[in-house]
Amino acid sequence: MFDIHPTDASPIWKQIEEGMRRMISLGILEPGAGVPSVRELAQSLRVNPNTVARAYQRLTDEGVLAVRRGEGTFVAEAPKQLRKSEKNEALRDAATRYAGTALAVGATIDDARGELELSYERLVREHRRKA
Amino acid sequence: MSVIAADGVTVRYGKKTAVDGVTLSVAPGSVYALLGRNGAGKSSLVRALLGMLQPARGRVTLFGEDVWQHRARLMDRIGVVSEEADAPPDARVRDLAWLSARMYSRWTQGAFDGRIDRFGISRNARYGDLSKGQKKQVALALALATSPELLVLDDPTLGLDVVARKSLFEEVIADMAERGLTVLITTHDLSAIETLADRIGVIKDGKLVLDDELEALKLRFRRVRYAGAPAALAMTAASSRAWGSGTEAIVTDYDDVAFERFRRETETSESTPMTLEEIFISVAGEEQR
Repeated sequence: MFDIHPTDASPIWKQIEEGMRRMISLGILEPGAGVPSVRELAQSLRVNPNTVARAYQRLTDEGVLAVRRGEGTFVAEAPKQLRKSEKNEALRDAATRYAGTALAVGATIDDARGELELSYERLVREHRRKA
Repeated sequence: MSVIAADGVTVRYGKKTAVDGVTLSVAPGSVYALLGRNGAGKSSLVRALLGMLQPARGRVTLFGEDVWQHRARLMDRIGVVSEEADAPPDARVRDLAWLSARMYSRWTQGAFDGRIDRFGISRNARYGDLSKGQKKQVALALALATSPELLVLDDPTLGLDVVARKSLFEEVIADMAERGLTVLITTHDLSAIETLADRIGVIKDGKLVLDDELEALKLRFRRVRYAGAPAALAMTAASSRAWGSGTEAIVTDYDDVAFERFRRETETSESTPMTLEEIFISVAGEEQR
């Protein structure tokens, strides 16, 4: 589905949460589509099931996933998108870190922009390929 | 209620104190990784937690019952894969299963057979002919077939190759997900538990010097590097040393806001997240060579 990076500073449950959101915003997981069970995803990512359960719980609370008793977990019919302010805040946080790295290695703004575009496209491609 | 609760456990061998006032608790369905360098007191603590030795002071309860008083009864709910999993070399794999089936009330033959097949081990194989990895796999299959509520893995991957480690952990993950198994693991394989542990305990010179949720540890431990001599960081530095012409500090209560403020004051400064292994070394000390 997506990769997780155990050594990343971002907690694993958050990486799973973000991975799920990416799949949904890319349209790979459509509203109403079934998602792997906690057990399946824990095994395929080789992470603790508690960690997956935590990510699923948050996504359920946020209205992105819906649990149908006895049937499993699904993408909500109208998955809640992040509010604009939340989206901006998340982008600004990540951009600050990225800009810091770019400055540290002496990259120009054009280099930095170029790498960002390449990474964005690569992620989209990778998700499509894995889907 | 905690599956394991240790309260001020002290273990002494003669005048030597191997475990010194350890208090910890393991929540149901969680994975607790107990780390420590050789000789730090890990094995003694595990033995005390399992009621195999009586602490000089303190108390251990498993599922709320005193382990020293009720060891025989409690062992039926616990699966153990020990560091030196051993059995008579002439015994065949199926004989070991036969023996366990008689010792444990909740033995499930199907679970044992399924795992042994997945591991690709013949039930007719002599134990003595198995590789080190296969012995561990048999020990794990035996332990899990007793339908334990608590699985204790004492350095389960010692001497195993990458493939054998992977299949061992996969079996554990599957069981955790299916049955909400609680796991206590001691290991040197820090990368394998980086995605698996809920909570980390580090024991050093018999004392539990760290006991926290893994996610919290990864957020609060950071390596901070800055130009100039050691300065006030507004964060607790576990250690700091010269780094080029500047300073490198390991902080244990990293906070974005404090760091951002510090960064504006100093010329160059950066903070990098740490792997579990790096956190472990910063707490337990460098490996002696």
